[in-house]
Amino acid sequence: MNPEVPNPNRLLVIDDSEAIHRLVEARLRPDGLQVRGELDPARGIDRAIDEGPDLILLDIGLPGIDGFEVCRRLKEHAVTRHIPIIFLTGTSDIDAKVRGLDLGAVDFVTKPFDQIELRARVRAALRTKRLQDMLEQQSFLDGLTGLWNRAFLDKRLEVELNVARRYGRPLSLALADIDRFKQLNDSHGHLFGDVVLQGIADGFRTYARGSDIVARYGGEEFAILLTDTDAVAAAQVTERLRVSAEIRSFELNGRGVSVTASFGVVCSDDIEGEPTSERVLSAADRALYASKDAGRNCIHLSERGQNVKLRPDHPALRGTSEG
Amino acid sequence: MEPVHSSYAADPDMLEIVREFALELPGRADALERLLASGSLAELSVLAHQLKGAGGGYGYAPVSELAGALERALREGRPRPEIEQRTHELSKLLRAVVAPELP
Repeated sequence: MNPEVPNPNRLLVIDDSEAIHRLVEARLRPDGLQVRGELDPARGIDRAIDEGPDLILLDIGLPGIDGFEVCRRLKEHAVTRHIPIIFLTGTSDIDAKVRGLDLGAVDFVTKPFDQIELRARVRAALRTKRLQDMLEQQSFLDGLTGLWNRAFLDKRLEVELNVARRYGRPLSLALADIDRFKQLNDSHGHLFGDVVLQGIADGFRTYARGSDIVARYGGEEFAILLTDTDAVAAAQVTERLRVSAEIRSFELNGRGVSVTASFGVVCSDDIEGEPTSERVLSAADRALYASKDAGRNCIHLSERGQNVKLRPDHPALRGTSEG
Repeated sequence: MEPVHSSYAADPDMLEIVREFALELPGRADALERLLASGSLAELSVLAHQLKGAGGGYGYAPVSELAGALERALREGRPRPEIEQRTHELSKLLRAVVAPELP
């Protein structure tokens, strides 16, 4: 899963009139927006938390909990706090508008609304949301390689472990470290070191699967989160990544320089005890160090505390690396 | 009363939902009269509010105007004869709405 440019386009309409849901949908669908409607304010809040829409159109005059209260609750909740809210109001009452804006709404549309105005206001709110999403994404990207960064990987590992536990699925993690990177940096300079990091990152991105989350985890260290993947499949993917580093040649003063990487892999099924993110990371790290100790450019699998070297005749690798 | 047409009847994106909305209006007119007769003024106000919010959006600006006038009269606690008159005007208008035909 590579970073993509955010395209916020999911709307939630909370309004007690179905006629308004249909109208908003008909007006905004041609702009490529997905519109969902909710009649009940309390259920609207739950859906906003579950679905995390990109924009909420919120009626003020709702039965039970009024729109102001819904807005206040949405702004209190960590998941929904940053979702822009446009109030739908039947009045052009200034006090109501000021109150709504003070509660954190970004805009107002007065009902009955003009479609051109509605579309323009929704577009403007989504433009801002897109910038906000991009900023958030930037804070999870590694500037040099364009991969996800450590903060993102740590966050996703936590989330994916929960998903894996809930569905009883395996999850694997591979850590990679470029061999003798410090020497390379010292003898050829940091600029060349950067080129190597970018090249290795490019190989990992290319040879990982679409669902794998590839991150730069530290200086010359990478982490690859393999969701819904057992140890055998993780070994196969990791072997592809190892080869992608080995076969790449970096040009330096007219000659080619080769670089290798060492790997440590663990599957959540092979963790002793409950697989927490700390246990998964530390098991993969110990397997990585076993690969360093075994002469580098190789892979070790962590199996219940034992680090087992992945040899070319391992069943998982038959017909993958050499063939 | 003259037949009332939607100003969006010619918009192909809107035709289907305008028709659906228009076909619901006679039922809404019945509901208005029923709520008035049973003295359920709070519910009458909710229905007027919804009609005000939706009518113009479907190309029926007069629906929003009369529904808005009824909602305001209810909110201001106007005398019963005025509420009755405004409710009848609105329900008569709703019955005069003509649903656009599908091609």
